[in-house]
Amino acid sequence: MFKNYLLSAIRNMAKNKFYSALNIIGLTIGLVTFILIFLYVRDEITYDQHHKNYERIYRIESSFRIGTKYDNFAIVPFPMAPALQLEFPEVENVVRFAGEDNLLVRIGDKEYYENRFYYTDSTVFDVFNHSLLAGSLDRCLAEPNTIVLTNSSAKKYFGNENPIGRIVLVDNDMQFKVTAVVADVLENSHLKFDALMSVATLAHRPGGEDFNSMEPDRFWNIGLYAYVLLNPNSNIESIFEKFPQFYEKYMKSLGDQLNASFDLKATRLDKVHLTSKLAADLPTGNIAYIKIFSIVALFILLLASINYMNMATARATKRAKEVGLRKVIGADRYQLIIQFISEALLLTFIAYLLSLLITSMLLADFNTLSGKAFTFNGIATPDFLLLIFGISVIIGIISGSYPAFYLSSFSPLKVLKGHAGKSGKASHWLRRGLVLIQFFIAIVMIIATIVVSDQLDFLKNKDLGFDKNNTVVLEMQDTSFRKQAVAFKEHLLQNPSIVSACNSSGVPSRNLWIQVMLVEQENEMKEMAVILTQCDYDYPKTMEFKFVEGRDFDKNMGTDDTAAVIINQTAAKQFGWGADAIGKKINYGMELDRSGGRIMKVIGVVKDYNFNSLHNKIEPIIMFISPRPRFLMTVRYKEGEKNQALEYIEQSWKEFGNKRPFDYKMLSEMQEESYGAEQRISTLFLIIASITLFIALLGLLGLSSFTAESRTREIGIRKVNGALTGDIMLLLFREFFWLILISFVFAVPVAIWQITNWMESSFVYYTQIHWYSVAISGLVALIIGLATISFHVVRAASANPVESLKYE
Amino acid sequence: MIKSVDLTRIFLTEEVETTALRQVTFDIKQGEFVAIMGPSGCGKSTLLNIIGLLDNPTKGKYIFLDHDVTNSSERQRAKLRKQNIGFVFQNFNLIDELTVFENVEMPLIYLGIPTKERKQRVEEVLEQMQISHRKKHFPGQLSGGQQQRVAVARAVVSNPKLILADEPTGNLDSANGEEVMNLLSDLNRKGTTIIMVTHSQRDAEYSHRIIRLFDGQILVENFQSN
Repeated sequence: MFKNYLLSAIRNMAKNKFYSALNIIGLTIGLVTFILIFLYVRDEITYDQHHKNYERIYRIESSFRIGTKYDNFAIVPFPMAPALQLEFPEVENVVRFAGEDNLLVRIGDKEYYENRFYYTDSTVFDVFNHSLLAGSLDRCLAEPNTIVLTNSSAKKYFGNENPIGRIVLVDNDMQFKVTAVVADVLENSHLKFDALMSVATLAHRPGGEDFNSMEPDRFWNIGLYAYVLLNPNSNIESIFEKFPQFYEKYMKSLGDQLNASFDLKATRLDKVHLTSKLAADLPTGNIAYIKIFSIVALFILLLASINYMNMATARATKRAKEVGLRKVIGADRYQLIIQFISEALLLTFIAYLLSLLITSMLLADFNTLSGKAFTFNGIATPDFLLLIFGISVIIGIISGSYPAFYLSSFSPLKVLKGHAGKSGKASHWLRRGLVLIQFFIAIVMIIATIVVSDQLDFLKNKDLGFDKNNTVVLEMQDTSFRKQAVAFKEHLLQNPSIVSACNSSGVPSRNLWIQVMLVEQENEMKEMAVILTQCDYDYPKTMEFKFVEGRDFDKNMGTDDTAAVIINQTAAKQFGWGADAIGKKINYGMELDRSGGRIMKVIGVVKDYNFNSLHNKIEPIIMFISPRPRFLMTVRYKEGEKNQALEYIEQSWKEFGNKRPFDYKMLSEMQEESYGAEQRISTLFLIIASITLFIALLGLLGLSSFTAESRTREIGIRKVNGALTGDIMLLLFREFFWLILISFVFAVPVAIWQITNWMESSFVYYTQIHWYSVAISGLVALIIGLATISFHVVRAASANPVESLKYE
Repeated sequence: MIKSVDLTRIFLTEEVETTALRQVTFDIKQGEFVAIMGPSGCGKSTLLNIIGLLDNPTKGKYIFLDHDVTNSSERQRAKLRKQNIGFVFQNFNLIDELTVFENVEMPLIYLGIPTKERKQRVEEVLEQMQISHRKKHFPGQLSGGQQQRVAVARAVVSNPKLILADEPTGNLDSANGEEVMNLLSDLNRKGTTIIMVTHSQRDAEYSHRIIRLFDGQILVENFQSN
């Protein structure tokens, strides 16, 4: 029996090549999209679950109040983790990771810049699971100047030689001995490292005591990631409950003096990636996107199933006779249902095989797009194949069942007399409804794509309050080079291609310095935590800040280097100064008892500039002259003379004996880096919108072919009664025109509502949705839709009516 | 009105070549009522299709209202057709989704006649066919005789010079068949030329002339004297 079903299914498929192809293509695209999104989502939601104890590991985090300012950080005070272990029996073990940025690593005469090196406690492998490839994990980070490499780092530095015992030179003056090599950190780990250096090393260096000292002031300085492993029967809440006593003991006295307080937060290891929204965090995922993509994956599957149902019922007329015959010779309804479902299953099975093939071909591009590292061998596990197979079967059954029940319901008598099998009004409307849903989804996606890309343009082109173009930023890590910053800058300015240069502790898009200072209020000076930039005289000029009040720094004033401060508009507003900011006092760098410090008066107010990405609101920021050279040198060159300028800068860099290789960043790129996620989303939306539109078009193609077929007689009658080919085309187009128009009318409010939600939650500054973006998406859907059906419409409309009327 | 010289129509399919008409020559004058008779497959419908400008002859010459339409384009034929010819079919060929009124109105729409005038003319012709009480019904709700009256109404609503009827009574009982034939005779008396394909000798009696076809050729033409 089964053989008969299969045979009949295969023959049917072969006979209706056009429909079968449309269905298989649609289902395959649906499945491929589903598989890729599934892989992505599964990867995102299983972050860090490969650590055996992940349910007992928490990352501890900071919640600070300074004055009236609240801030949450992913990093904690240096001694927090060991102190927790000391005080709370619930804590079985702790480990800390202190990251080093842009570290210069030398192996022999080869140089590398590394960003994923961490100083780590020796307990790291007791808390986390990393498989050992060489050396020994036992005490591998206990001694000073020891380092553990990942497999890739070891290969990069030492090739195929044995790395154990070899020396890694860091920052020109620290030697580390390799004690172990572990497997590369899995991609779905929120904290990825290339090497771990022993914390003990730091004890021998200035500032090293930070790590182990439990003096009160060490608790008010945050700087590292820390994880606690709880005992099997403990929970994090009991630590939170008892934390006030801990605070009392270690932190309160100093906190009160600072007018500050601290609270401990924690996130379970596997939740960090998707839920954390803290300052100073490692790159995290975005749960909103996970939700969007999951929904999209389901929708695309739904669209592909709809296509199948649509075309299968549309072909009912043609199948009716077969159904009648089978019934007459003894098939019961149940057998027919099985038969039609097996046809659907055959198609989905073919689509399943094709989708695996296509997925494997697309995987590399998908990795580039998603930033993941899937391999086909990695994903083609029996579980996974079975799961996707299961889903294919479910799609087959769902999409096969409606046509099956519908077709099998025909009465044999009527069918054979030629009366039944004309698809009724109900199924006609159902089909239109299904196509309507497809276009609804496609149009929502098109609108989303256009608006996301508008938003991206907006982010890149908005007036930020400073000029990000024609500007390069140099990092001066080499301390002996940094000491010559003034001379270096003078040297740079001698080149005609260079317009101006400045030295500062931060630039827009890189401003992390927050400090408590005293700010003048009505009757008193009050503590406030304020973001600041220490800079030289040329910083506001080089950045091209616009002054709304007062003046720029001026060497001729004599005292600007110690007694002047420039603030932004938001600072003037939030400090309660309004339009009278000029002359107000800020005391920076005072002692805990409020003595000493540098008392400065406001000399100028600059127009607010976006020193963070447009995801964030503009906050108060102040800038004043630094007593010594700072980390960053910003150089503005003449428009169009970038190459000459860079060449000169590099040459000067070497002349001044910088021990680091020349490296620079464009200020505009630094600014746009924050929009990487949006850039990716924009590309993804474009792809997904194309896929949904394409599947909807397949549906439309099927429907139009069916319409053309089922209306052949009507078209013939109309032509005999005087309709010209053009009249008929208009008649057929009109039906689809309305379908698409109605989808559009429903899609617009939904799209606008969803997109507005997304933009409001993700950005403080966002573009409005332009009416023409919406109109364009409608037009795109309409034009592509009508173009798709035109083949069948033209064919049907130009057919000779004699043919169609003869068949009656 | 109609002049055909050596009309030949050959149908080509992948495997066979069928000659449906062989060198058929005849004239039909304005105001005539002509019946075309013959056994199944003799080429009656093919001839009617060519006369009705739905099909082109393979060879020969066809002149319709002084236009040589032998090789005219579909567009030109459609234009001549909608201004001059009304069709009545054996199986009525009404559009199921349109009401009686809308079915009858259709040719006028394609002639570009204004709404108001359309309404008036449809009402008139429905009245004339005694079907106006059913104008809001759909074809499926009517008897065969009523459906054929609607089809005739549709054929005459545009005041065509020529009505082509392909077995107009074939699907009707004798009472209804007679009624339709009387309608056609009436129209003929008022000046409309009628060409009718039929199997029925009784229906053929209504005509002035019978053209008998056999194997694609005119066998005989009988002039009647009624």
